[in-house]
Amino acid sequence: MFGKSILAAVAGIAAFGASFEYAPAAEPVKIGVLVPLSGSTSQFGINTRNGVELALEDIKAAGGIKSLGADVELVYADVPAPNAAAAAVQRLVSQDKVVGIVGSFVSSTTLAASEVTERLGVPMITHSFADQITSRGYKYIFQVSNKASTIGQKQFDYAVEIAKRAGKPITKAAILYEDTAYGTAQAKGLRDAAAAAKIPVVLDESYPLNVTDASPLVNKIRASGADLVFPVSYFNDALMIIRTMKQQKLDIPTVGGAAGYIVPDFKKGLGEFTEGVFSIAPANYDNAPAIAARYKAKHGMFMAHEALMYGAAFQHMVKAIDEAKSRDPDKIRDAIAKLKKCDGFSAGLPGGCTAFDANGLTSVAFPIFVQWKGEDIATVYPPEAAKAPPVWHGKDVK
Amino acid sequence: MIAFIQALIDGVLVGGVYGVIAVGLSLVFGVLGIVNFAQAEFMMMGMYAAWFAWRYLGLDPLIGAVFSFLVGFGIGALAQRFLIQRVMNAPHVSQIFLTVGILIVMENAALLLFGADFRTVQTPYQTQSLQLGPFFVSVPYLAAFGMALVVSVALWLVMARTWIGRAIRATAQNAMAAGIFGVDAKRVYMVAFGLGTGLTAFGGGIILSYSSVSPTSGAQYVVLMFTVVVLGGLGSVMGAIIGGVAVGIIQSLSTLVMPIQVQNLALFVIFIALLTFRPQGLLGGASR
Repeated sequence: MFGKSILAAVAGIAAFGASFEYAPAAEPVKIGVLVPLSGSTSQFGINTRNGVELALEDIKAAGGIKSLGADVELVYADVPAPNAAAAAVQRLVSQDKVVGIVGSFVSSTTLAASEVTERLGVPMITHSFADQITSRGYKYIFQVSNKASTIGQKQFDYAVEIAKRAGKPITKAAILYEDTAYGTAQAKGLRDAAAAAKIPVVLDESYPLNVTDASPLVNKIRASGADLVFPVSYFNDALMIIRTMKQQKLDIPTVGGAAGYIVPDFKKGLGEFTEGVFSIAPANYDNAPAIAARYKAKHGMFMAHEALMYGAAFQHMVKAIDEAKSRDPDKIRDAIAKLKKCDGFSAGLPGGCTAFDANGLTSVAFPIFVQWKGEDIATVYPPEAAKAPPVWHGKDVK
Repeated sequence: MIAFIQALIDGVLVGGVYGVIAVGLSLVFGVLGIVNFAQAEFMMMGMYAAWFAWRYLGLDPLIGAVFSFLVGFGIGALAQRFLIQRVMNAPHVSQIFLTVGILIVMENAALLLFGADFRTVQTPYQTQSLQLGPFFVSVPYLAAFGMALVVSVALWLVMARTWIGRAIRATAQNAMAAGIFGVDAKRVYMVAFGLGTGLTAFGGGIILSYSSVSPTSGAQYVVLMFTVVVLGGLGSVMGAIIGGVAVGIIQSLSTLVMPIQVQNLALFVIFIALLTFRPQGLLGGASR
């Protein structure tokens, strides 16, 4: 390996010899970014890209990877659907020679991609939620967010606690979820938490992701008499559910399951009706105000959680490469596992750091509760992370 | 009983809109004999047209849908003249390849031009409903249904009372005979295709008033659209409207007894049964 880096350094010097710029001498270290940039989930992929690029600015400003004297270069691979993941990873590793990968937002895509990174022995950091990602005993996959079952469970528990504090305990809950991997996994967490809390679930209903009419769903919520609803939705379905609830004057607290409920478009689509809508989230931008302000200035909208989380994942990987002082994926993998990073983008995540347990799952993060207030989303629970008090049935909860 | 009537109301209102987006597909097949797999993409384009009309001209999407129609008509007519016309007498496989190709190009062009964002409009009536005793009648659905009725009547008038409508029907019945009587088949094909894509785009405009648009919006409706058309009888305009309402009602009523997740299961079971016992569709063969 040592010989190889000398060779690379020599090649680098030769390549930059004619240039007058103050460029680091070695060939840049390449990191793969595996995200959907086309297809139905591409908005999330684009947010991820924006976050990673913002994180890269900071790395460049700090002089790249100092121990190697090298710059960092991003190599994108578009994965519109899970079936494109394996080939994309193969190409990133064998042709583009990336030393690590971050991605890929969609859980089912991450599951497929991580099988290949495991086989090729290349580290990958993801924020996808699915439980299986880090429960297969894989060595090379790391998850910066909590598992879906934990997120679903907290979604329920936090709501129950806030309602209790507000003096209006929950007696009947409704669960609605889209029927792909994400919705199904999170609904299980919700269901288990309800059973543990002995709160009856009066409606437990899944619906197809591409639903074209939400009125049957809302009719069922109304008929069930629930005093709280937990919808786990992507975007279009989230929009239809909230609008139809307003039409039918169904005014019960709504606790969304992340994804569709915490994107800037949610506000654009619903205007004043977003006010007071809750959601569970793996992170929120109000915990990283300086980074969020730069992001907003650049992209004209608030920083979605995936931008923050993938920025953190990416910086964690770069720091690990720096500490490993190597381009060898195995050494980088060990450095990622060992590193506890609490600055830069990582400081903006709940828990303030990125670090992993023996399975590669985050050892510090916890899900947070957010609520729409005007144009923004504020962290409202748990108290140690809150930036504003939660509002329940129109009243501040102390 | 209350739940049943409520489901029936929702079903009829949504179904009327399904009818309008499907009527274009039916018209294209009835006249040109081509199954246009890209039809749903014209709906997506109509949604974008209505969105831009709302954003920059301040037009309500129900009015902006007229603009959608014009865009859908223009692009459809051009696509017919320069692309579809070339495969009019080609094997079905070529026609399928071409229309599927157009579908892929349109979807990706939208992604390139407009990005992947979901775009939505806000209207004052969007979250309103009329309350009639225990029943809720959604105002956006009611308005959309009203527009669907208006455009169906307009289409019927065009087909029955105007020269071009008669020419379209004549060409559909027998292109050669129509030619002998001085009907320019090429022009009729172009107009009929444009009318078909325009109507679907118009439907997209109406749907935008209560939904959202992204480059993949078409994919959400494509299966529904084909079901509606086949249910009503491929090529039958009236059948498409009735098929649309039927699909809306089946979808809505099925949720009373089954999980919402399988609302399309009920639809397809009825669909298969109908195809088995009445393959020409509900109104197929009866009228055009």
